[in-house]
Amino acid sequence: MLNFKINSNEIDNIGNFNAKEKEFRLKNLDSFNKNGFPNKKSEDWKFSDLREIVSKNFKKLDLKLVKTKVQKINFIKEFDHNYIIVTNGELTSSNFKFEEKNKIKVQSYSNNSFTNKQEENPLINLNHALSDKGYFLEIKENYKFKKVLVIYNLYTSNLNENILNCKNKIKIGKNSELHILEYAINHSKKNFFNNIYENVILEESAIYKNISIYNEKSFGYFHKYSSNKLDKKSSSTFFIFPSGLKFNKLDLEFDLNGENSECNLQAASYLNYDDHQEIKTRINHFAPNCKSFQKVKNVLNSESKGVYQGKIFVKDNAQKTDAYQLSKAILLNDSSEFNSKPELEIYADDVKCSHGSSSGNIEEDSIFYLMSRGLSRQESIKLLINGFLSEITDEIKSNSIKNFIVNKLEDQLHEHKKH
Amino acid sequence: MKNENINHNQEYKYGFTTDIENIKAPKGLSEKTIKFISKIKKEPKWMLDWRLKAFNRLKVSKEPDWQKPKFPKINYQDLYYYSAPKSMKDKPKSLDEVDPKLIETYNKLGIPLNEQKKLSGVAVDAVFDSVSVATTFKGELTKKGIIFCPISEAIQKHPDLVKKYLGSVIPISDHYFATLNSAVFTDGSFVYIPPNTRCPMELSTYFRINASETGQFERTLIIADKGSYVSYLEGCTAPMRDENQLHAANVELIALDDAEIKYSTVQNWYPGDKDGVGGIYNFVTKRGACRGKNSKISWTQVETGSAITWKYPSCILQGDNSVGEFYSIAITNNHQKADTGTKMIHLGKNTKSKIISKGISAGKADNTYRGLVDIGRKALNSRNYTQCDSLLMGNKCGAHTVPYIKNKNSSSTIEHEATTSKINEEQLFYCNQRGLNQEEAVSLIVNGFCKDVLQQLPMEFAVEAQKLVGISLEGSVG
Repeated sequence: MLNFKINSNEIDNIGNFNAKEKEFRLKNLDSFNKNGFPNKKSEDWKFSDLREIVSKNFKKLDLKLVKTKVQKINFIKEFDHNYIIVTNGELTSSNFKFEEKNKIKVQSYSNNSFTNKQEENPLINLNHALSDKGYFLEIKENYKFKKVLVIYNLYTSNLNENILNCKNKIKIGKNSELHILEYAINHSKKNFFNNIYENVILEESAIYKNISIYNEKSFGYFHKYSSNKLDKKSSSTFFIFPSGLKFNKLDLEFDLNGENSECNLQAASYLNYDDHQEIKTRINHFAPNCKSFQKVKNVLNSESKGVYQGKIFVKDNAQKTDAYQLSKAILLNDSSEFNSKPELEIYADDVKCSHGSSSGNIEEDSIFYLMSRGLSRQESIKLLINGFLSEITDEIKSNSIKNFIVNKLEDQLHEHKKH
Repeated sequence: MKNENINHNQEYKYGFTTDIENIKAPKGLSEKTIKFISKIKKEPKWMLDWRLKAFNRLKVSKEPDWQKPKFPKINYQDLYYYSAPKSMKDKPKSLDEVDPKLIETYNKLGIPLNEQKKLSGVAVDAVFDSVSVATTFKGELTKKGIIFCPISEAIQKHPDLVKKYLGSVIPISDHYFATLNSAVFTDGSFVYIPPNTRCPMELSTYFRINASETGQFERTLIIADKGSYVSYLEGCTAPMRDENQLHAANVELIALDDAEIKYSTVQNWYPGDKDGVGGIYNFVTKRGACRGKNSKISWTQVETGSAITWKYPSCILQGDNSVGEFYSIAITNNHQKADTGTKMIHLGKNTKSKIISKGISAGKADNTYRGLVDIGRKALNSRNYTQCDSLLMGNKCGAHTVPYIKNKNSSSTIEHEATTSKINEEQLFYCNQRGLNQEEAVSLIVNGFCKDVLQQLPMEFAVEAQKLVGISLEGSVG
């Protein structure tokens, strides 16, 4: 597994491509084959040695397409919603019963823009070379979604040491608004690798909100790169509750290209067993008067490992930037580990940029206080963890969705406590 | 800060060259050069072997390239690795025998080398280019059993101590520039404080790069034995010159049980002219090991000079309850580039570290804080607090923060904060309103911004440092 190489005829197995696309795929495959899975020698992977993780947990990586049968899923009953079902990365059905259909376009995604940009991330190379599924969602101008759109990401039980390469694209037109809840449902009991490349484009004054959560423990190894481009006055909000994966790296990049654009990113996770999770962000302030806000909270138990690498980049013309970044971690066990690298790279002077990072255990004083009120030690710790993470969930505006998320998080905590 | 001071110091104050004949080693880096240095220093064989071992290692290692500021390729074969003032060949027995021109240089620098200056309470081990010239206050120090001498002398007189500790904090295989230093270091200071001794005065040394095309490779080794205390000052000035000069020093500190070392630096190497021509490359490795229980190492630095600075004074907290501190001000102006910070490596239980870093960038300069806090699995109940603040003046400069934070146990706490901003308009307005002009106001505010660090400096340095802060930012506002 250490020398994981992919034969170029795998590309032909995916489909027939025109010369230009084939060249693009081959070029990226070459880059991937040259570097293999990244290891800690690479700066971006310093804290997550993927090569080691993959060779330890995978005997092989199967590139073959997984047959996806249409499966029944339990829809969320707590609130009305539109939905898209994505099975093993492939768009299988959609339903927009609450919306005006002519304002929405949804289809399986095929790439038709091939950049010459040389990607440094081997997993992006891999995706560019082999991606064969995904969805494209477009919201036309001046349309606000009435109900939230739930994307059910279903992983079926026949996944077994497969690697999925998906490409998704979301485009939100001028003055439009979209709220998405990404909800992962896992039926697989075996290891699999999911490598996602996502492209989000917000036109002028567009509003995008995204909440993502995993329903249950999974044997998935996930890598997701998301590129977000924001035009004037647009705003993008992310709530991420990524617990429960064996390995998860979220690589989120935001380009604030237009003036007065804003991005807000909040994450709360509870990691257990040998979960390994990394959130990596890069916020590029390319225009004046933009705002960015990041808050990442981690609770680490057992032998779990959490990583946060956040970078704020401010270009010299991006005056009046307001950028904030906070990372907090609670370590519950001496075998757990938290690493962070909150980075600032600033070339403009009239800016307000700050970051903070802290990690440590729950304060004994707080536990003592709760115990003196009659709670057991275990209950006190649970209450304090809940309080620590609820700072993120409290920010969700819609009550029904908030309650849904809070319940899911509590299930996760409870589930973990049992073991 | 008085206005006259600023105006008088507009140009680099210490930019003069003393015309003294030099003995030079053969040009270039080779075994021959190393043997030449070793021979001229009358070193024992084990020292030469050690150097050669480093040289062999150097052949297979590469220059580090992960730092933010990049530098033009250095031709190591085009440098002289040893040059000493000729008059030093027969060591002077007293100050009278010292070349008057040297004395003159020191007087210009304001080094209290003369015995008359004894009242100032500073014992100086002045390094002119590579050889230590004269050492004062020796008598008083000897009485207490303190050894403060050039390292070349220590190699001959105290080989046991040198053998035991040299390279024990910075191994010869550490990284390219540290290895280079190990192979070709010419001189530096050696300090040994015996058990339960408090060094009665601030020990101090001034380095000065003089001969052109001579990279200076200093080696400093400070050992504080059980229960001792020492405060060491290092100050640098270098003459004005067009050619880039390499400075790759190694500083090793070792604190045993209950010992404390305080190391303060004011660095004012020639930064190059306004267009970024010339200036010193300052690639220094400084590292301290808190070997013993309850030991403490504290680094304080004021970095205002050099064209490029790469410097990460670090603490390895091995002993239980040991403490590491790092206070830094880095000021960059014009085309200067600084990439500086610290590493705090917690290995012992109940270890504590504190990092206060203030970066100020003006003109077209780039200033980076790069630091590592690593709390190991066994370093229970450890604590770190880090604060990095950056101040930007003008929109052509950059300020960057790159901290690496690793926490590997649940009983330890790490806190990190960083901010980047410009000088508050309201504060400026308030100062202007009280009759201070723009430059005075900036100097006052910047000094206030740096106060946490300036406070840590010993008296003698604090005054010079405050002046430097003002001078370095000269011409950056308005």
